[in-house]
Amino acid sequence: MRVGIPKGLLYCKYHPFFETFFHGLGAEIINSEDTNKSILNTGVKACVDEACLPVKIYHGHIASIKDQCDLLVIPRIMQVYRNEYICPKFCGLPEMVIHSIPDMPPVTLAPLYMHNKKSLYKWCISSGSAITRNRSKIKHAFELALKAQSNYKTGILDQKDITVMLAGHPYIVNDAFLNMNIVNKLKAKGIGIITEEFAPSSITETQIKKLLKKPFWTFKRNLYGASAAFYEQKKVHGIIYLSSFACGIDSIVVDLIRFHIGEFPMLVIKLDEHTGEAGVDTRLEAFTDMLERRVVNENNHPSHGQCLYSSQNSI
Amino acid sequence: MYSLGIDVGSVSTNLVLLDNNNNVVEKLYVRTKGRPMEAVQLVFAEIQKKYDDRQIYSVGTTGSGRMIASIQTGADIVKNEITAHAVAAIQTERDVKTVLEIGGQDSKIIIIRDGVVTDFAMNTVCAAGTGSFLDRQAERLGIPIEEFGDHALKATVPVRIAGRCAVFAESDMIHKQQLGYNTCDIIAGLCDALVRNYLSNVAKGKDILPKVIFQGGVAANSGIHRAFEKALNMPVLIPEHYDVMGAVGAAILAREKVSREKTKTHFKGFSISASSFKSKSFVCSDCSNQCEVVSVLENQQPVGYFGDRCGKYNRFSASATGIAMH
Repeated sequence: MRVGIPKGLLYCKYHPFFETFFHGLGAEIINSEDTNKSILNTGVKACVDEACLPVKIYHGHIASIKDQCDLLVIPRIMQVYRNEYICPKFCGLPEMVIHSIPDMPPVTLAPLYMHNKKSLYKWCISSGSAITRNRSKIKHAFELALKAQSNYKTGILDQKDITVMLAGHPYIVNDAFLNMNIVNKLKAKGIGIITEEFAPSSITETQIKKLLKKPFWTFKRNLYGASAAFYEQKKVHGIIYLSSFACGIDSIVVDLIRFHIGEFPMLVIKLDEHTGEAGVDTRLEAFTDMLERRVVNENNHPSHGQCLYSSQNSI
Repeated sequence: MYSLGIDVGSVSTNLVLLDNNNNVVEKLYVRTKGRPMEAVQLVFAEIQKKYDDRQIYSVGTTGSGRMIASIQTGADIVKNEITAHAVAAIQTERDVKTVLEIGGQDSKIIIIRDGVVTDFAMNTVCAAGTGSFLDRQAERLGIPIEEFGDHALKATVPVRIAGRCAVFAESDMIHKQQLGYNTCDIIAGLCDALVRNYLSNVAKGKDILPKVIFQGGVAANSGIHRAFEKALNMPVLIPEHYDVMGAVGAAILAREKVSREKTKTHFKGFSISASSFKSKSFVCSDCSNQCEVVSVLENQQPVGYFGDRCGKYNRFSASATGIAMH
């Protein structure tokens, strides 16, 4: 039995759970490759036009492995946090894919509530039954999967003289192809990075409580909460927000963050099918130039022992 | 000794020579026409008639074609447009607080406080509200772009045009034309729409304080200038060298870098205008990224590469030309 697990969307967050579970049942795991141009091209061709880029890329991942597997895991992730949802596209993801890509193998259809152990077990029974009827085997694999998932930590914490928060949905921040290699670009410029995972939950929680209305989307809780927390703690010098073009949630979250942080530096990078990197490079370079100058100006002395520009023409 | 600044934009390629006091002594403006290397050679051939290599103290490049131009010319500094424009604006008006810049494909706003850039924004994926959009509409109306602004100023009742999207704006304009509205009124409406779109999109949430400077190629358009003044309700200044401000900034930054580091310029000389430059692109199939790599050939010799995500070819070009790629 070969089980396909595409490396798209929330794979970056939850792959230990799925992989350990099916591995525990004795299945062979087929992963797609890291996102690349041919995956992007197939995805864009297969997917409906209105979807966001990560969803299109997800279609590409599926198309690249569907013919090699007997079962495809397309997680219908409904919730990852109590009383909140993630994104409407995830709720209908299996249907979206089945109706866009022809000749699909069987896929997992049961819903997933990632914060709820009972629901996860239910998912395992329904998805594992294609491989085995042995309940105790499923139970055992499920326990292993839970453990693997709870031991798995994501995020980037690399603080330097100048550090930015790299904000965005996890599947954008973690996909070097989709985000045009931004992590390495910032590293090469000597800029430190911190991601939402490292915002202390107590401060995030107080920031969220200050909102007029509790978040409906968990992406909003995570991104707004963490941005506000880092800002209040003065942990970062700026925020770089990676957003895929036409993302409905981001259209609200970005403005909400802006409203909260006022004149604090924030750069929003909208990503779509562009592969020309000149536009992103220009924005990144200008943004880091600005942060460096702001830091120098605030401390009123150059940070590396020399002035970047003469005072007469300083920017 | 002169500092040379080159701004290779999507629509125009500009070159300036600054004297020791950063005054513009020479400026050239040509259309890029999608061939950045030829455009640079063209301006070099022109400038070569009056100056020789030994008079050049430093070279800086900027604009979306800055990498290719730096490989071609041996630039001392390669800087993004935001920084270059801000430096030039501060040089021109010491107490500038807001810079509006509209170029061919990009439009940007730069917020400056006490001579330091504190915030900036650029247009996102959409090019509505930039010069190339105006170019296209002028062409469609059969009016030379140079006269576009004057037509707008003749308008009595500007027509409202949908400005959010270039495609919507175009269809709205066609409909208004079919209904018989006067061309000048439509053009004025288009200027208002472009400014409205700029202010609610690029400049959203930015605190626009005077002095406001308006630069970039579109500043030549008096219709847009007037629309800005009307919308902001404050005077908007247009610097003398509004069309080459990016190049001015690059030249200033280049001079500062060379004098700070006490190095000699890497300038390859004006003679490159006679070299044969070719670019060749190929798909690198060493990994699944399949990057489209561009190599720049000078007289059949590769002098630089870019477009590779892993930096494999780039490293070669950085060492070959001896400049820091940043």
